[in-house]
Formats: sequence, structure tokens, C-alpha cells
Amino acid sequence: MKLTVNGEQRQVAEDWRDETLLTVLREHLGLTGTRFSCGIGQCGACLVHIEGAPVSSCLVPIKDVAGKNVLTIEGIAPQDGSLHPLQQAWLDANAPQCGYCQSGQIMQALALLQRNPEPDDADIDAAMSANLCRCGTYDRIRTSIKSAAVVMKEIS
Amino acid sequence: MAIFTRRRFLAATGVVAGGVTAVYVFRQRAEAVAPTFIFPDNEAAATWVQIRPDGSCMMYFPRMDMGQNANTGLAQIVAEELNLDVGEIDGVLPSTSDVPPFAVTAGSMSLTAFSRPVAVAAATLRENLRQRAAGKLNKPLSEILDDAGGFRTAGGQVVSYRDLANGAGAVIELDESKEIPHLYTFDSSRQKQQVGKSAQPLGMRALVTGAPVYTGDVPMDDVLYGRAVLPPVRNARMATVDTTGVERVKGFVALVEQTEFVGVVCKTPSALDAAMAKIKVTWDLQQPINQQEIDRLVDVDAAMSEGNLEHVLVDEAHRRDVNWAVDLRFDVQVQSHAAQEARVAIARFDDSGDRRKLEIWTGTQDPFAIKRFAAMDTGMAKDDIVVYPQRLGGGFGGREHYEVERDAVRLARAVKRPVKVQWTRADEFMASRSRPASSHRVRIAADEAGNLQDWWHGYVTGHVVLSRERLPDWLLPIARLSEDFGVTKGALSPYRAVHRRIECKDVDLPIDLGVWRSLNCAPAVFARESAMDELAVRQGVHPVDFKVSQMSDDWPRLSNCLQQVRKLSQKHELPAGNGFGRGYACGTYDGRCYVAVSADVHVDQTTQQIKVVHICCAQDVGMAVNPDQLRAQMESNLSWGIGMALMERFEVADNTIQSSNFDNYTVPRMSDMPSVDTLVIDQPDMPPAGAGEVALIAVPAAIANAIRNACGYRALRLPISFADTQQV
Repeated sequence: MKLTVNGEQRQVAEDWRDETLLTVLREHLGLTGTRFSCGIGQCGACLVHIEGAPVSSCLVPIKDVAGKNVLTIEGIAPQDGSLHPLQQAWLDANAPQCGYCQSGQIMQALALLQRNPEPDDADIDAAMSANLCRCGTYDRIRTSIKSAAVVMKEIS
Repeated sequence: MAIFTRRRFLAATGVVAGGVTAVYVFRQRAEAVAPTFIFPDNEAAATWVQIRPDGSCMMYFPRMDMGQNANTGLAQIVAEELNLDVGEIDGVLPSTSDVPPFAVTAGSMSLTAFSRPVAVAAATLRENLRQRAAGKLNKPLSEILDDAGGFRTAGGQVVSYRDLANGAGAVIELDESKEIPHLYTFDSSRQKQQVGKSAQPLGMRALVTGAPVYTGDVPMDDVLYGRAVLPPVRNARMATVDTTGVERVKGFVALVEQTEFVGVVCKTPSALDAAMAKIKVTWDLQQPINQQEIDRLVDVDAAMSEGNLEHVLVDEAHRRDVNWAVDLRFDVQVQSHAAQEARVAIARFDDSGDRRKLEIWTGTQDPFAIKRFAAMDTGMAKDDIVVYPQRLGGGFGGREHYEVERDAVRLARAVKRPVKVQWTRADEFMASRSRPASSHRVRIAADEAGNLQDWWHGYVTGHVVLSRERLPDWLLPIARLSEDFGVTKGALSPYRAVHRRIECKDVDLPIDLGVWRSLNCAPAVFARESAMDELAVRQGVHPVDFKVSQMSDDWPRLSNCLQQVRKLSQKHELPAGNGFGRGYACGTYDGRCYVAVSADVHVDQTTQQIKVVHICCAQDVGMAVNPDQLRAQMESNLSWGIGMALMERFEVADNTIQSSNFDNYTVPRMSDMPSVDTLVIDQPDMPPAGAGEVALIAVPAAIANAIRNACGYRALRLPISFADTQQV
């Protein structure tokens, strides 16, 4: 079976067809930026986009994404080596601490800004409360999302 | 006994230039069972910094990175001493073969204990290089002046570290007979270029791009997936093991059964999950595991009714029978670390050469302990074992032990292939070495003017550092004759009183216990600061005025934090209306880190929730090496304090651990995190102290005191629920 990950068609070997999207990404395709934390869709560390929608990849059987488009943290920056505005905003705010949840946080924030380019605090809290950060970087994530929203609006 | 020579470590990096390096001998000190307590000296630090042949500066990071970014602070010190920009320091996490052993990353000790040796190392390297520059330029040493990335002369000649590296690099030539060079970091008259600046933590870009940094991200050829069954508590013994059907699982590779150990290895992660589900183990327990048992053991009133508690920490003209102005009992529940990364270890054996070798990749707070324990577990020589530490996805005191590594080592050895063990979230909770429950009785008496006369704080808690599984059975009773510094942490009161007793007792609980962010400090400060607040309320005095007036003169920095946080809180207006309140609390971690917190809460009768709506924190941890990262640690601690005050509770029942995932162990989410104001109180003349677990200690009491202010309810039990507040 095949799927498209970050714009590139990838083949899933026979032995890996009973796996989840998360374990295929990490262990089979070598895309380790998407991370395992809870395994039950409660924390958002494994968040990716499937056909543009945010999904916990730990819950998705790989068979369900055959032929579909998957976007991971490795695929959001431009090809020229620069960063996506969200990644840059995260860096500017020194948002990460241990960093383990941050791929999922950024992917959730991307989904939020794609459907709501000017979120207020309540919108941000509502969307981002699906993602845990045990280090408690929430205040900096809020700041990062707001400043990225401004940049992304200018670009568009 | 292994002998480490500095030359050997330097040789491993390939930059030993003939004849320039004196050889220092490191002998491993007495082998503690765990953890590694080897605090750094100048010799050890001399192995951490060098100039590479290309002139770049390489630093072996001697701290484990788990979000606290202590290594960035240490790199700022190196940069300050070497006249570099911190971004020019190439930090490398060393393997256990690259450098001599260093201490476990714990106790907020990184800046406290490491800043000076690191400064001495970098300053020595600078002066070694100055010597070379003098030779190269044929000038007296006094004419070789500092320049960015090298030296210059008054006449305009410039020589860079690259020029001086001369294609061979430079390592530190430490001469103990010479005076320690001028340390720029600790020169308060110097206009600093790196120290005191909010430098971006090194390695941050990798964290926002999803680059591989954690153990689970390490690419490994030919790897298999394994896991072992974990006991509900470490002194449980396997009663029955049923593995029927496990071999028939598609992708099954091996079942590994040893004494008190059963694990499986499979080709893929899902095959492993299916195989693990086939294994049924029942356990013999030495104590029943349930909340009633914990409550029975952690009962301060029962313990105090039997006389003095086991450890009397302060005893000054103590009086038992006084008219107590406040006499309250506070109970704190068990908490888990719940770090975001579910632990992973990878082990690989190599029998192919003339020497056996074991390699372990893991995110641990104590890589040298992992190496020692792996040697004990396998019977291999320590020199044949290498641990490659990786970034931790959260540590918080919970990642010091040989556990997930043990499983990987045993399984890899059995199948003769590299094995990756990724714990499930349930495994994480099962293996939790939790912060114990504790129970406190605080009694305070005051004279007619309201000044404290009597202070009596007794408490009972589970063990922290001297917990059951930390030490072998034979050593435990001997070790426990002395105080458990995890249990006593935070117990001393900053308030003056004529008659004082502070005493405690530590007990074995039916669950595994250990070091959790701030150890006993947060529970002790919760009890003390709640009691003081209650007395202030009853006296009709503002709690900050009251606490400042009663604080001993030995605590000016704490008093300052408290007054500063009050000012900070006043910038933000408390919303009018019923149910809003503001509370304050302060405390010290180890007498070197000071903090005060104010919390604004809403006890909302409509939503039936308690919400923290704003929180302020003023912190003084000496020299502020990186103010932005001090703020980051405050923010993190504030979030932990909110969890401790309002949410987190490790559940046990029916002889099992009930907390198994984030749906039944609640930690703060973004909607729980209020707006935050932080203040860094810089003390440029003082050495830096740690900040990793400081602010947390004052948060639960600040929230409890705010709830008292909002609705009159005095919280006596953590976590506090809305239902509790209806008991007024």
C-alpha cells in the first residue's frame, strides 16, 4: 500500500500493514518528529494532518490512510531551509522546554490558524487544550500562535 | 577499579596535541548504589571544553537536558570566559566513555555546583591560549589583550583561536600549582557580554522542526521491539505467569523468561502490543495497595499522639500546652511525574570483536548510574559498556533509575539483536516513583500584639530519597538512621517564634516512592503558608504585611520576594464580584533559592469550578545567568503548582495502580493556565542557584489562600475540588 507523506509518495511494506500511522511514520518511514505519549488520543503529541484535518496518529490504522495525504512536522517548512512562521514564532518565544509535545502543538496550531486566521485567547485555549504540555509552556504557545497569525496574514 | 585518565578522554576526541597536556588521573570514588553523587571539580570540568583543530569551541554538556536548559547557562559562562558568542559553542551530549563520571542531574544543582568549575575550565583555556598568542606574536603576555574569538595587541595585531589551534586544537592545560585565572563570570565589575543575557537555548531549532533528539528517534538497523511486564510495585513478586498463545502472535520473535522477569520481543510495535496482551501475571504483594492503607500510614495526628516524631529538626523551648491561635491539619495526596515522553531505551550487544560490548541509548538523569547498574545486571566489565544519553522528554526527578534500560538490555541479550523498549503510558504510571502523600499538623500561638510565640509543625510522609527500592535491604535500616533529605526539604520555617518544634516521621507506603519536583518542599510550604495565612486572616491583617513582620531577619531575600510579588500582583486588578480572591505564599528551596507567588482565583458557583485567573511570581536565585530561562522555569513551575493544588491525584485501589493515562490522571491543560507575570530578581554579586523546582513550592498555598480570600473556605486537603469549597 501507498500513502503520500509531506508531498512524497511512500510505500508501506507488508510487515507494517497492521500498524498505526504513528508507528509507521516513526519506525518504518523514519519520520520521528511525530511522537508517542499516551496512545489513546488524549495528549496530542502524535498529531498530524490527514487530508488537512488534525488527527491523533496513534489512533489511526495505517490501512485507513492508504492513498491519502499526510502532513507531519517535517513537512511544514518551505523547501529553502527557512522555517514556517509558526516554527519561527515558537523559536522567537523560546516556547519549548523539554520539547517532546511541541511537534504536536505546532501541528494543532497550524490546523487552528488554517480554519481561524485570527483566533482570540478563548479560541486558542479551546483548540489547544487537546494538546498536553507537562512542562507548562502554554503561555508561550499562546504568544507564539498570536505572533504567527500576524505573520501568516501578512504573507497571505 | 577503573582508572580514567584525562588523556584517554581527550584522545577519544582526536585533538590531543603532543606534549601540551598534563595527565590527570581520575579514580572512581566509592561506588554508591545510586545515584551518582560526584560533584564537579576543576579537573573534571577541564575535560568538557576544548578548541577544535578548526578553531571552533566544543563543549561536552555535563548536564542532562530535559527542558531546564542548564547547559545553555553553562555554555554562556564558557562564552563569557572565552570572549565568544554563546551561539558559537558547539554543545555535545557526551557518552559515558567521553568524559569522567559526573553527578546525576537533579536537585536544581546544575548552576549551583557546575558554574564555577566550568568558569575555571574556560578561563584556564583562555589563558593557555593567551600564552600561545604571546609566543606566536612574540610579545610579552601583558600585551596580549582580549578580542572576540581570540586576542589582539594595542598595535592592532589580531590572532584568532583558529590561528592558535594551528590545525591541532587546544585542550585545557590545568596546572594546580598556579593560581586560578581571573573569572569574568564572577567579576561583578565587568560589563558582561554573555552571562545575564537571555540567550536562546542551544538546540531549540531541532525542537520546532521535529529533528531527532530523543531516544525513540535514534535510527537503529536491524532493531526489534520488546517490552517486559512491570509489577504494580517493585517489591511485588510474580505469583503466576501465563504466556499461553504468545508464540502464535504474528510477528512474534521471542519470549524471555528469567527470575522475576518476563518479556517479549517482536518484529513490529503492534505485534508487540498483541503479544504483551497474551501474557497474564499475578503478583504477591507485601502490603495491600489501596488509599485506606496510605491514609492509615500517613496520619500525623495518630503519630503525634504517640509522642515525639522520629526526626526532630528544630527544638527550641518547645511548649505542648498552649492556647493555639491556629491548629490545623493539612493532607497532601500522592502525585506522579507524568512526563510527556513515555520512556524508551535501546540496547545493542556486540560479540563480534575480541571484546564484548554493550551499548545503551536512553534519556536518563543519571547515565553513569545506568552504566554501573548495567554492569551489575549483566556481569560485564564497566569498560565494556557505553551509555549514550539522549534528551529527556521531561524528567522532574523521575528518571534516575535502571529500569526501561534493564528491560532493553535483557531482551537484546536474549535475542542477540538490538532491541528498543518503548513503555506504554500505563507502564509509565505503573513504574511511577511518586511523590509521597503527607500529613501535617501546624500549630501557632501568638501574643496579644499578634506576634508569634509558639510554632509547632509535625508531619508524616512516605520516604523520598531513602525509599525502599533505592537501597538494598541490608543497607536500608542503617541509612534510615539519618534523616532523609528529601523528607526534610522545605521543613524549616522562616518565621521567628520563641518556642519552636519542627519534627517529622517517614514511613513505607504500599506504592513506590521517590524524588518528585521539589521533593518535600511543596507539601511543607503548603502547610506552613496556609497556616500563616489563616492566622493573618483571623487577626484581620494583610497576609503579606503579617508574614513580613514575623519573618526572621535571616531571610531578607524571601521577604523581598514576598513584597515584590505583592507589587506585581497589584498591576492586575482582581475582578469585582463574588467568588474572586487573591492569595500569597512564599518559600525557599534549600536556602539558596527564594520565591513568592500570588494567585488570583475564581470560585465560580455557576460553572462549579475553581479557576486560577492570574498568577504572579517573583524569584531570587542569585545571579541571573539567563533571565528568559529563569522565567521559563517559573512558568513551568506555576503550571505544576496549579496541577498540585487543583487536579493531580495518583489513584490506587484493589491492589493495583488505577492511574493509567491522561484521561484518569489530570494534569493542567492550556485552558487551566492563567495569564502570568514573572519577576527575576537578579543578584549579580552572588553565585547562581538553580531554578528548576523552586516556584512550584509556593503555588499550592497561594491558590489555597486565594480560595480562602474568595469564599472563606480554608483548604485542608490537596487537590482542592469545588465541592470542598462548599463546606464553609
